Amino acid sequence: MIESLRCLPGVGPKSAQRMAYHLLQRDRRGAERLGQAITEALQHLRHCTQCNNFTEAEVCERCLSARRDHSLLCIVEMPIDLNSMEQTHAFSGLYYVLMGRLSPLDGIGPKELAFERLIQRATDGEVKEVILATNFTNEGEATAHYLSETLHARGLKVSRIARGLPVGGELEYTDAATVAQALLERRDYQ
Amino acid sequence: MGRQRVDGQTCFVLHHHPYSETSLIIDVFSRDHGRLPLLARGARRPRSAMRGMLMAFQPLELGWFGGGEVRTLAKAEWLGGMPLLSGRCLMLGYYLNELLVKLLPREDAHAALFDTYFAALSALAQGGADAPELRRFEISLLRELGYGLTLDVDADSGEPVQTSADYAFVLERGPVQKVGAGDTALEQGLRGKTLIDMAADDYSDPRTRLESKILMRRLLAHHLGGQPLQARRVFMELQEL
Repeated sequence: MIESLRCLPGVGPKSAQRMAYHLLQRDRRGAERLGQAITEALQHLRHCTQCNNFTEAEVCERCLSARRDHSLLCIVEMPIDLNSMEQTHAFSGLYYVLMGRLSPLDGIGPKELAFERLIQRATDGEVKEVILATNFTNEGEATAHYLSETLHARGLKVSRIARGLPVGGELEYTDAATVAQALLERRDYQ
Repeated sequence: MGRQRVDGQTCFVLHHHPYSETSLIIDVFSRDHGRLPLLARGARRPRSAMRGMLMAFQPLELGWFGGGEVRTLAKAEWLGGMPLLSGRCLMLGYYLNELLVKLLPREDAHAALFDTYFAALSALAQGGADAPELRRFEISLLRELGYGLTLDVDADSGEPVQTSADYAFVLERGPVQKVGAGDTALEQGLRGKTLIDMAADDYSDPRTRLESKILMRRLLAHHLGGQPLQARRVFMELQEL
């Protein structure tokens, strides 16, 4: 049991031991619930056919919601990025989770990321604009570039989230690379 | 190997792997110490000053310490001055990095190759003609690795290569003039002009660009010993989208 707990991120031998003894000595009901929850999740969890995020149903609640704008599709790398976007309360469209990014040196290309599925989803007629919200790393940029090319060619409006100084940011405390890029990508000011 | 401290090295990150919860192992190409792995402790912490800085294709000034195979990164500074690569040039950058990761032995200083790599990335970042840069880098890589790439001397006769003759490039030896048509059916045909242009670093002729690309691909495949290049495969797949 201690060995199994160590598969969790941030759990070393010592904390694994503490968790195991806690579950066995003080909280046997909790241990049972945890075990069941893990088994159930593993059995029922799958990818939403619309957004590719984890869900128990065929299509997740968010994709079915009538309150969301079905003509906007925001592409993110990971489920955790989707959570970050949701926390902004600034986006009411739908998402597509790639579950990764292009990484040529690791052999991760369009086939590994199932680009075909995404292209199908984005060209189903409902989506009018695609927002690329992959990370501003080299891998995220490569992913955004190729998605933009291929989706553009299919007649979709494609946009990329902006990059620059953070809200409340001061030049003095911002790293040179960010300032340089913000300068390069400056825009007209009215 | 004694403990040593190295400071103020101009480097490029070639590749990186996550290590433990919050750290990163970066494969670095430095000017004076060659290619080496460094452990960047805590570089994946949310507030780490190094987070986001240890990017490939950007010149960085790094300092490290320690003995053993993997040294510890002590200091990283952004040198800047190079625009970020994007689109097709970004994929070509990955191709260069993969060649270095697969062919360059560790801790072997190659200052000339480093300078060619730097120049190639700068050209890619400016979005200039990429073919000459790539060929220059590939030739420099093979020469620096000690494969003694001879381009403008006939390996059989020892005579200079002639512009108007046709040549076959024999692996591990060099260009050999073709006597009759079809006697070396397996060898890729080459114009003498292509070889002379390559030796003179002149890629203005479109046919030179094409033939040199095919020749370098064959030579690199030979030295890679059958290892496929992932960056090329991914690039091809992306072209088909």
